Amino acid sequence: MTRLALLLAAFSAAANAPQLPDFRNIAAQAGLTDVFPNGGTASKKYIIETTGSGAAFIDYNHDGLLDLFVLSGKGGTNRLYRNDGSGHFTDVTREAGLTSDAWSQGVCAGDFDNDGFTDLVVTSWGGITLYRNVEGRRFENVTRQAHLDQSRVRYNTGCAFLDYDNDGKLDLFVANYVKFDFATTPKPGENPYCWYRDLAVSCGPRGLPFDRNVLFHNNGDGTFTDVSDASGISKPEQSYCLSVLTGDFNQDGRTDIFVACDQTPSLLYINRGDGTFSEEALLRGAAFDENGKAMSGMGAASADYDGDGKPDIFRSNFSDERETLYRNRGSAEFDDVTLAAGLTHNTRFVGWGCGFLDFDNDGWKDLLLANGHVFPEVDRLKIDIHYKDRAILYRNNGNGTFTDISERAGPGILERHAARGVAFGDYDNDGSVEVLINNQNETPSLLKCAKKSAGNWVILALQGTISNRSAIGARVRLTAGAHTQIDEVRSGGSYLSQNDLRLHFGLGTASKIDRVEIDWPGGVHQVERNLEVNRVVTIREPRR
Amino acid sequence: MRTIAFVAQAYGVFCRRPAAFWPRCSQSSRVHAKAAIFFLFAHGLLAQDPIAKGIQEFHQGKYDAAKITLEQVLKRKPGDAHARTFLALSRAATGGCDTASNDLYDAFTNQQDADLRRMAGLALVGCHLAHNRLEAAVPVALALQREFPADADVLYEAARLHMKAWNDVVFQMFQKTPASYRVNQVSAEIFEIQGRYTDAVAEYRKAIEKNPAAINLHFRLGRALLLQSHSPEALAAAGKEFEAELKLNPSDAVAEYEVGQILLSENKPHEAAPRFEHALAQAPDFTEALLAVAKIRADTKRYDEAIPLLERAVRLEPANESAHYNLMLAYRNAGRTADAQREKAEVDKLKRPPAGEFTEFLKKLGEKAPNQ
Repeated sequence: MTRLALLLAAFSAAANAPQLPDFRNIAAQAGLTDVFPNGGTASKKYIIETTGSGAAFIDYNHDGLLDLFVLSGKGGTNRLYRNDGSGHFTDVTREAGLTSDAWSQGVCAGDFDNDGFTDLVVTSWGGITLYRNVEGRRFENVTRQAHLDQSRVRYNTGCAFLDYDNDGKLDLFVANYVKFDFATTPKPGENPYCWYRDLAVSCGPRGLPFDRNVLFHNNGDGTFTDVSDASGISKPEQSYCLSVLTGDFNQDGRTDIFVACDQTPSLLYINRGDGTFSEEALLRGAAFDENGKAMSGMGAASADYDGDGKPDIFRSNFSDERETLYRNRGSAEFDDVTLAAGLTHNTRFVGWGCGFLDFDNDGWKDLLLANGHVFPEVDRLKIDIHYKDRAILYRNNGNGTFTDISERAGPGILERHAARGVAFGDYDNDGSVEVLINNQNETPSLLKCAKKSAGNWVILALQGTISNRSAIGARVRLTAGAHTQIDEVRSGGSYLSQNDLRLHFGLGTASKIDRVEIDWPGGVHQVERNLEVNRVVTIREPRR
Repeated sequence: MRTIAFVAQAYGVFCRRPAAFWPRCSQSSRVHAKAAIFFLFAHGLLAQDPIAKGIQEFHQGKYDAAKITLEQVLKRKPGDAHARTFLALSRAATGGCDTASNDLYDAFTNQQDADLRRMAGLALVGCHLAHNRLEAAVPVALALQREFPADADVLYEAARLHMKAWNDVVFQMFQKTPASYRVNQVSAEIFEIQGRYTDAVAEYRKAIEKNPAAINLHFRLGRALLLQSHSPEALAAAGKEFEAELKLNPSDAVAEYEVGQILLSENKPHEAAPRFEHALAQAPDFTEALLAVAKIRADTKRYDEAIPLLERAVRLEPANESAHYNLMLAYRNAGRTADAQREKAEVDKLKRPPAGEFTEFLKKLGEKAPNQ
């Protein structure tokens, strides 16, 4: 009897144990066999070799299947891979007109001309390039026609389309890192900012001049106007800016902008609704860590991790620093809850691309971040900090805390790479989110979960009619059973990358969606009821 | 006479690259000296006045020539204090400390001109160091620091003096007591500064093996373990060392605080809280402990309890960015917007880039403050 009771108890415990994922890197079998060069592999002379490049999931040809776009450093080309629908991708870079030869940094997507096809912006050291999607067949470089040429060389990093004035046309925000050029930047070891743990390494960002961030207003005729000064975006000019994360953080119906910055305060531009922004990260608690110290912010992601209906912010940081989770108290005032959320122990990693994904479809957003040190030279130290390192996967416990399950989440998580950009998207529409990672000087990783998750799910593909066609800035509140989740359509994010513009929700055991409320950037409040689960649902903005 | 006084003011402009330990002229004297030298050249006074010539030779680094010129001056005018001082400075610059020291001391203690006093003092410290007379150098260096507290040359010489003293004593320790635990301890501390944490850990362990009851060894070992790695294993091992330190010295507030920090990192805030409270009870002026306790209060929305602690922390350490930052957030969360804005202004002020980065280096050394 006792033995039977023990057996039953063990069975019950196993049945209640949370499901563990089994992430595998399927890049090679999916056809991602190109190496993406990005500076030195054993040492790096200049900072431009360290920041790496982003990646994107976009459906460029409008066939309902996500394609892949991976950026390259100098010596290679950005590549577009078309999703063949069979788990395989074909390189269509040349015919798509996306061949490049630059230090590409970031990518963001959005339908800037509202023609129904998703356009792309690629940032690089040198400038930004606007690629207009021509009917899903090819891309056309319209940078000059769009007046997005910049007057001087800039180290453009993160970017995002957003409709900051809610006029139905996507504007463009571009972050800038430092003022850099090969001729004047010191070489490794040449000044105190060119050392790391007694190793002579590439210099910066400390010691290099700041640059300003840029906001372009969409004029609606295929051109943009630089409104950086008039909008207040160009100030302050005292942070080394990398990733851009847009969102309505104070939930006033207008898109705000968070920028993760390296070794300097991160920025939070609050949209004042009159065409201007005010930078308020410090008082709102999103500039520093809990000790008031500036972190080396790299990537940024947002989700309502604790289910209180308010968008929170995660930022990946440097080694010897904790990651940062900012909990939104409401009205975009944040508390650093990294400790309370259990995200304190992974301080040996330099984190880059990051994102919230519900890998087990239990209705609680989990968190994945990719890592890899800035300096390849660090391997000479033979310490527990490595140039190539594994990813980290945290499972959301549904009570405001996370559990690190990296070591048990499959070989794809444990592979070591010098990872940078990370994008999230469900490329085969099976309800399980895949992860595309841009690795320096290697082939990209494409992580797919080998186990089907137990929970139900839905993907919402939103389409603006009055609002911008990509629905960027649309806020969704979804209720299934007793659980309500929120999310927002975003351009850019993670680390210089672009996630699927569609929104994925895990639904747990809920067999239908009771209610979906959408607040469109154009002001329309839409409610849909009783939606089916386990499918992609397209929702069009109603015309007033 | 007027000419001599003018030349004495003007010496700064001739400053050239100094000899190995040579004091630079101060920036202010350089500025006003330019006009004076122009005046001297314009009136042909420099060529006529041998004192001016000797001083000029000194500042041009022609120390041998300066010595000859100034010795001739002193034969004619043995009481000329300026000539005597510059002769002593020239002698010191050429290794003639034996003949220079008395005059340097005299100038350092009696010269009216602050810049000359400074130069004589620095040269005197250099001479004492060169001849290994540390006991004689210390009071001169301390007096210089008192009079010129923000002078880079003065601080540099003082640092050199203390480093020499430290090196000599450590060398003596290695020679006279090679098997003592202190040798292992000091080796560990050196490794720590060099970033060789594995070696530091090994040396601390050896020291503890030799003297398990010695205070502070377990604390330093715990800290070195944390510097070496942040793995859960390292946290646990460091925690054990801090606990061992507390067994030897239950009133060690810093060790208690470190235990609290480790518990926090292990996501055990409820266990960490009493450790921070205890650390604060042991050392009520321990700012980090004040902050830790205040944060725990704030986490549970007890802002009215957190704010007085943070206000106390700010009073204790007005330049503590973390204290101001947390006070700003506590005010904000308590709805005291005006107070939060005031604290924000303080944080903004403190966040302005420092004049130098050396303070960061000192912070990284992580020494315990003497009162903790």
